Amino acid sequence: MLEIRHLKAGYDDKVIVEVPQLTLATGEHCLILGASGSGKTTLLSTLAGLLAPVAGEIELDGHAYSGMQSAAMDEFRGRHIGIIFQTLHMVSALTVEQNLLLAQYAAGLPQDRPRAVRLLEQLGIGDKKDDKPETLSQGQQQRVAIARATINGPKIIIGDEPTSALDDASCEAVMELLLRFAADSNASLVIATHDQRVKRHFHKQITIGGAP
Amino acid sequence: MNSLTMSYAYLRHKSLSTVLTILTFAAGVAMITVLLLANAQLQNEFSNNLKGIDLVVGGKGSPMQLILSSVFHLDVPTGNIPLEEAMKLGSHPMIKEVVPLALGDNFQGFRIVGTTPAYPAHYQARLKPGGRYWGKEMEAVLGAEVAAKSGLKPGDTFAGSHGLTAGGELHSGFPYTVVGILEPTDSVVDRLALTGLESIWHIHEHHHHDDGEDADEDDHDHHGDAEEHGHMRELTSLLVTYNSPLAAVSLPRLINSTTSMQAASPAFEVARLTAFMGTGTETLTYFAWFLIALAGFGIFAGLYNAMNERRYDLALMRSFGARPGKLFALIMAESMIVSLISVSGGLIMGHLLVEVIARWLAGTKHIHMTGKLFLVQECWLIPVSLGIGVLAALLPAIRVYRIDIFKTLVRR
Repeated sequence: MLEIRHLKAGYDDKVIVEVPQLTLATGEHCLILGASGSGKTTLLSTLAGLLAPVAGEIELDGHAYSGMQSAAMDEFRGRHIGIIFQTLHMVSALTVEQNLLLAQYAAGLPQDRPRAVRLLEQLGIGDKKDDKPETLSQGQQQRVAIARATINGPKIIIGDEPTSALDDASCEAVMELLLRFAADSNASLVIATHDQRVKRHFHKQITIGGAP
Repeated sequence: MNSLTMSYAYLRHKSLSTVLTILTFAAGVAMITVLLLANAQLQNEFSNNLKGIDLVVGGKGSPMQLILSSVFHLDVPTGNIPLEEAMKLGSHPMIKEVVPLALGDNFQGFRIVGTTPAYPAHYQARLKPGGRYWGKEMEAVLGAEVAAKSGLKPGDTFAGSHGLTAGGELHSGFPYTVVGILEPTDSVVDRLALTGLESIWHIHEHHHHDDGEDADEDDHDHHGDAEEHGHMRELTSLLVTYNSPLAAVSLPRLINSTTSMQAASPAFEVARLTAFMGTGTETLTYFAWFLIALAGFGIFAGLYNAMNERRYDLALMRSFGARPGKLFALIMAESMIVSLISVSGGLIMGHLLVEVIARWLAGTKHIHMTGKLFLVQECWLIPVSLGIGVLAALLPAIRVYRIDIFKTLVRR
């Protein structure tokens, strides 16, 4: 489903991280480990199509990134890739529910309000749907971000340190949610973290940034 | 959710600056609307009242004052002219028609004008059914508005009071009888009470010679017998219509240099007046456009700043798959909403304002305006305002295309 070959990722023509080969089957998860500054975020951004690879190939569900112009890449990403940014980036002018619908609106997909409400209820924040995101706690915002990344039924969910700001209990809860949501839409989870608490949830782990 | 609801959400999110921008924008539009409406209606009022009057002859003094007092019935007259000298003009070959006017009294603030039926005829005034023009002294015909305000009907009587504004000494001993009422003409005639010249002379002769009442009675229908009363009969002014366009060249000079009277051209004086006012309205128009431009900058600055604050939101939307065109439309929609609310609010405000001014002016009985008039020129305000909205949003909207999602959202 996800195929990476001879990938050199970086920006401004500078290679920051190299991944010679990585294959994920449908629904197979992968943890990317590495110290801060090792290029985890750069690699994830490249996988998300936010950053063009310096060299090498990425193929998701049979679509090679190299074959897509930036607008086509945006559209492809909108429909097939869910992203949870390290900084959550909530739109403060919109309500929590509208933040979810924003993902569908931006992707040009039909807006499914009942689904958005259902997602929020599953995440235990159904009563917050008409609130502005800044009134929510960090853990609650994290859940909104998860809902937003999964609402379009992506093939792959990319998360950049989704648990590092959370306490142990929240960390467990968020990981469980992520795994459940991924399983629901049969998506692959690709999580970058240096959070040791997450490790036990993943069979496949790669470490980047030279010697650990 | 669509670009409209999104724009609305953003506008509400920064409601203070949105309201300020809309207020400035709408104030500019309202100001231009008021100027357009007032200008059009004043011009119309002028041209209606000027209809076919080529020259006004009256006492020496300010020509503007002469025109204002005799054509528009606004100012006080410049002074009287001798009847005989004035009537001599009537036989001049270049003159088609003269209409004599004698002012001096008012009825509830409406001027009583001594004249001939040629005067209302000049304004194409028609009598309401059942009415007639004055046949003898102390008979009067009321303009439409005078009749409406006073409620007088043919057969009723009223007394004039001395002077041109309400509150003068009442001529209660000399009541007028209403013999006719005029249909509305949209000209100054609506606000006048018309009577024969003789009535005016009659009242004022008696006014000056209180004891001669009975003895004088028989003489009033005769012209030229004023000498008997120790003073000449006089007119306030004469409205002149030319026979030939050549008259405009020679006649005013002839009158001004060879008689004790003054000739003034209404067209010229009105042009002078509008030129005075024109400077004012022009300045106001510039100011109004300045306000609109300022509002345009307000939208621009608002959107441009918002673009900085919203860089993350826009990049986020791009990361969710929104094409730049969609975001461009979003920003444009926001600006269009502001412009549209402003221009419609401004137009409504402008019309209300003119209506308020009109109500206030109605009390002074001089100038008639309404806020219910809609002009074609006003329609231009809509595309122009939207155009300003588009211009203001253009630069911020174009910046959307250059957002680097990675650098904005990830590497900071």
